[in-house]
Amino acid sequence: MAIPRIGVFICHCGTNIGGVVNVPEVVEYAKGLPYVVHAEANLYTCSEEGISSIKNNIKEHNLNRVVVASCTPRTHQPLFRNACADAGLNPYLFEFVNIREHCSWIHMQNRREATEKAKELVKMGVAKARWLEAQEEFESEVYPAAMVIGGGVAGMSAALNLANQGFEVHLVEKEPELGGRLLNLNRLFPINKAPDELVESIVKAVESHSKIKLHMPAVVKAASGYIGNFDVSIDEDGQETSFKVGVIIVATGAQVLKPELYRYGKLANVLTHLDLEQRLKDGELGEFQNVVMINCVGARIPERPYCSRLCCMTAIKNAALMKEINPEAKVYVLHRDLMTYGVEFEEYYRKAKEAGVRFIRYTPSKPPKVVGTKKVKSVKVYDELMDMEVELPCDLLVLATPLIPNDDNEELSRMLKVPIGDGGFFLEAHVKLRPVEFATDGIYVAGTCRWPADIRESVAQGYAAASEAAIPLRQGLVKVEAITATVDPRICKGCGTCVLVCPFDAIELKESKIRGLEGKIVAEVNAALCKGCGLCAAACPNRAIQQRGFTDVQLLSMVNALSGKR
Amino acid sequence: MAKKSVLVIGGGIAGIQSALDLANMGFQVYLVEKTPSIGGRMSQLDKTFPTNDCSMCILAPKMIEAGRHPNIKLLTYSEVEEVAGDPGKFRVKIRKKARSVDEEKCTGCGVCMQKCPYKTDSEFQVGLAKRKAAYITFPQAVPNVATIDPDICIYIKSEGKKCGACIKFCDAGAIDFSQQDRIIEVEVGSIILATGFDLYDPSGLEEYGYGKIKNVITAMQFERMISASGPSGGQLQRPSDGKAPKNLAFIQCVGSRDTRHKLYCSSVCCMHATKEAILASEHYPDLKAFIFYTDMRAVGKRFQEYIARAEQEYKVTYIRSRPSEITENPDNGNPIVWYEETTARNRTSMEVDMVVLCQAMVPSGEQKKLSEMLNLKLNAYQFVDIPDRLFHPVDTEIPGVFACGFCQAPQDIPDSVVQASAAAARAAEFMSKEK
Amino acid sequence: MKLPDTKEVQTEFKPKILAFCCNWCAYAGADLAGVSRFQMPTNVRVIRVMCSGRVPPELVIRALANGLDGVMILGCHPGECHYSEGNYLTRRRAHVLKRLLSYIGIEPDRFQLRWVSAAEGAKFSAVVKEAADKITALGPNRWGDKR
Repeated sequence: MAIPRIGVFICHCGTNIGGVVNVPEVVEYAKGLPYVVHAEANLYTCSEEGISSIKNNIKEHNLNRVVVASCTPRTHQPLFRNACADAGLNPYLFEFVNIREHCSWIHMQNRREATEKAKELVKMGVAKARWLEAQEEFESEVYPAAMVIGGGVAGMSAALNLANQGFEVHLVEKEPELGGRLLNLNRLFPINKAPDELVESIVKAVESHSKIKLHMPAVVKAASGYIGNFDVSIDEDGQETSFKVGVIIVATGAQVLKPELYRYGKLANVLTHLDLEQRLKDGELGEFQNVVMINCVGARIPERPYCSRLCCMTAIKNAALMKEINPEAKVYVLHRDLMTYGVEFEEYYRKAKEAGVRFIRYTPSKPPKVVGTKKVKSVKVYDELMDMEVELPCDLLVLATPLIPNDDNEELSRMLKVPIGDGGFFLEAHVKLRPVEFATDGIYVAGTCRWPADIRESVAQGYAAASEAAIPLRQGLVKVEAITATVDPRICKGCGTCVLVCPFDAIELKESKIRGLEGKIVAEVNAALCKGCGLCAAACPNRAIQQRGFTDVQLLSMVNALSGKR
Repeated sequence: MAKKSVLVIGGGIAGIQSALDLANMGFQVYLVEKTPSIGGRMSQLDKTFPTNDCSMCILAPKMIEAGRHPNIKLLTYSEVEEVAGDPGKFRVKIRKKARSVDEEKCTGCGVCMQKCPYKTDSEFQVGLAKRKAAYITFPQAVPNVATIDPDICIYIKSEGKKCGACIKFCDAGAIDFSQQDRIIEVEVGSIILATGFDLYDPSGLEEYGYGKIKNVITAMQFERMISASGPSGGQLQRPSDGKAPKNLAFIQCVGSRDTRHKLYCSSVCCMHATKEAILASEHYPDLKAFIFYTDMRAVGKRFQEYIARAEQEYKVTYIRSRPSEITENPDNGNPIVWYEETTARNRTSMEVDMVVLCQAMVPSGEQKKLSEMLNLKLNAYQFVDIPDRLFHPVDTEIPGVFACGFCQAPQDIPDSVVQASAAAARAAEFMSKEK
Repeated sequence: MKLPDTKEVQTEFKPKILAFCCNWCAYAGADLAGVSRFQMPTNVRVIRVMCSGRVPPELVIRALANGLDGVMILGCHPGECHYSEGNYLTRRRAHVLKRLLSYIGIEPDRFQLRWVSAAEGAKFSAVVKEAADKITALGPNRWGDKR
């Protein structure tokens, strides 16, 4: 190994780091660390200027290791690795130090200690960098097929898009019918049309597409593998089937909360909007004269703090429809904030007001009260604007309840190794800029299983997930991060501990073919199966197996740097 | 033609996302941006809600990736001039305006900016600071090259008789006043519109005194003021005397949800005001922020929690009211907000150090020109019309032409990114069928 | 013999704590704590590993023998490991490791195992505070000095 020549780049990140950590002091400190031949501060290391500085300094100072101390590797590692590669340095000779999320942002009131901590973190990063080695990435082929889980509008849109791009799609739907939540709706906002014909045309396109293999009713039983190469098995109407896909899109939808409030389920004339739409669809609603609707039932409360995004519009839609069916009826919507964002929703709300729907704002501290024993007779509500309680006669009470996560999210999350976040919905890779990707490569998310969304938003997310999924499918090859395990056959005793702990059956005991070791039983790693967790490396009693990028000596050097030992 | 091509108009976060998706799929992308750098509105923001993640920090990697991608041809400081041909085979003329700087030679060192003696209001800093005639829009610009503004540059105006400081000091020899506008012609299979938004001028709402009362500013100006890369280096300075405000009022729906101005809701102001109030309180722990709102529209992931945190941790006060007037205290320049507290039903006033108007957002000015060029329908508010908005939410009425982000409806960053990827998927699908 | 002023030692002592965080849950949770600006004690230094199961017990002992005052391992919640079962391995090892520590004379509380998901920024901040408090209460780690 050539003598390490380490370059350290410390980012001010505007004032995000520089406002708390004394960056020039850290730069001076870094200059004194072993093997550091260059250290500098950048206003933004990730700007074009910062990137060119890295490249220029690699050449100027003949750097063979680069350390950047800035934000998090989870977003910026690819950028800096590419910069190294552009300058001819193997990208695995790069080490990331996080002094923003893990330092300046969490110690804003303690500049001195934050600066000391930043120095130590840089010292640890430099210590590890000294032991970094060049790596080659393993390339693997992408199996040119996709699995879409969920046959609602999000899933169908994704499936059709990929199929029309020429890829084989396995669409897995647990119900015996395509269409998802839309099948239960009576009419759609803001277009005020029945969903039936619209859904039918999409369902037909899906069913008749030669590239789409429909599995229905079916549930995913197991999934293993990695981007480009997933093995899936499903239970299709009682029969086990398995197939291979390159990418997976999760679009499993959500369910509507059945509330335990306002005597729902106890009094006959208390419905949710979904119940109401079913009755309207079936023509079983009957007569009504006084309709009261209550919004945010079971939403925006301490145990379920989120806003479900589409209930206000649902309530306005049905309120206007009630007026349309019976212009003589009195229709009240009791609401908190009205979420009619954007152009069309606001207009829709205005039109409902013009049509005679009355809107009354209530406060959560004084919620509406239901009056009546066998049936709801009236609803009492404190009207903020009039500063008094009003009693509204009521023969039909309709509750707007939020979308809640499906019960099987957790099972799916365990199976696919994708996380669940706020409120039990799936957690995307980045809430702002990677809204339809999971942190795990090759798995994507769309629709209401991610967060409440209306049809337009769910369809857009379905297409967006298809766009991200089409990237590896079209490229045909993916590179797997070179953090897989390697065995030193000279040290390996062939005990098989690694074989036992590996969750992916990526290690086998084999007779060595290496010259001088012929016939010796040693562990061998299949790089295509290894996912780079490092369990084997921690378990090996002889330290014969190492995880690239996280070797024993690399981790130990960080520990020693922190504790002041060499 | 070896590779199928796509034209993406607009280099904000939506345009960048569409371009990257398509380029990664293997298509040739022409990304046209009218200003000298890609980055769009997101590059002007300090932080983003609801995580308070630094806006430039999450945007910069995408900008750089777009700048270095072998399948993306960046055409900045450029505008689409003409679109002819048919879906699947559009012929597009793009005017690449003369920058008076050789993009290949310029190193972005900024010497020309230092030496240039002529100034104008900086668009990027929303008039809070000046920029030179020779300028780089912001430090993270992609491409990181200078541009010389022909409307200000005395060398250009005097036809080479005066000044020329930039030529003298540029070590790279990149200044090139002989440059002419160039017309670039490309043939593309599909077009994606991502032209974003402009800010509605609040001086039309005379009752709020914008332009007359010094300490009444707009949200975008606030955003630049609180940003580390802004003219005051992240310090809040009220325009009348440069002092840091101790209390701040944010006024929502300025021009939005207003029968005299824009009827629609601009969708993002409730959240950006909340974010700005949090940031102000973070910078100045003793500061008090008040938000005057109509409905608190917090519908996205973690938005309700964000508002709760603003109230509990940062002591932001939300007042449900639309103020009727803002006057100025002549003694100290303080704005006085006159309002009726609708929940408590009393008419009152509040004197604060500074007022931030959360102005409406409108489709970008170039939208009209583009729609005429493409023969594309716009709706009553000049947003791109989407005929089947539920089931084909990014398809315009012209096959092969898609629209994403704010140019088709007000929406926040994640929704714009979703639509941008959706438009990329639809364009890829369209070109697959058009074999 | 005059005893040192314990009160002063208590307020002055700031333990140095090492935290191994798995890439998928705990490190992401720590990032979220950062973007959310949850303020926390300055004594924790994070080392990123792909899985909590990558951390061998001897590395924890080495860190404590080196004089660090505490070591944490933070991984995904049981059942949510990105690699199926890595954190179960961590949990089993931690159990044995705690007993071993007490056997060789190190306070077992100097080693802490915690689960933090990618969505739990607030929890990351809370467990760091809690661990820092516990380890501060134990006082400086003198185990290495005796050997």
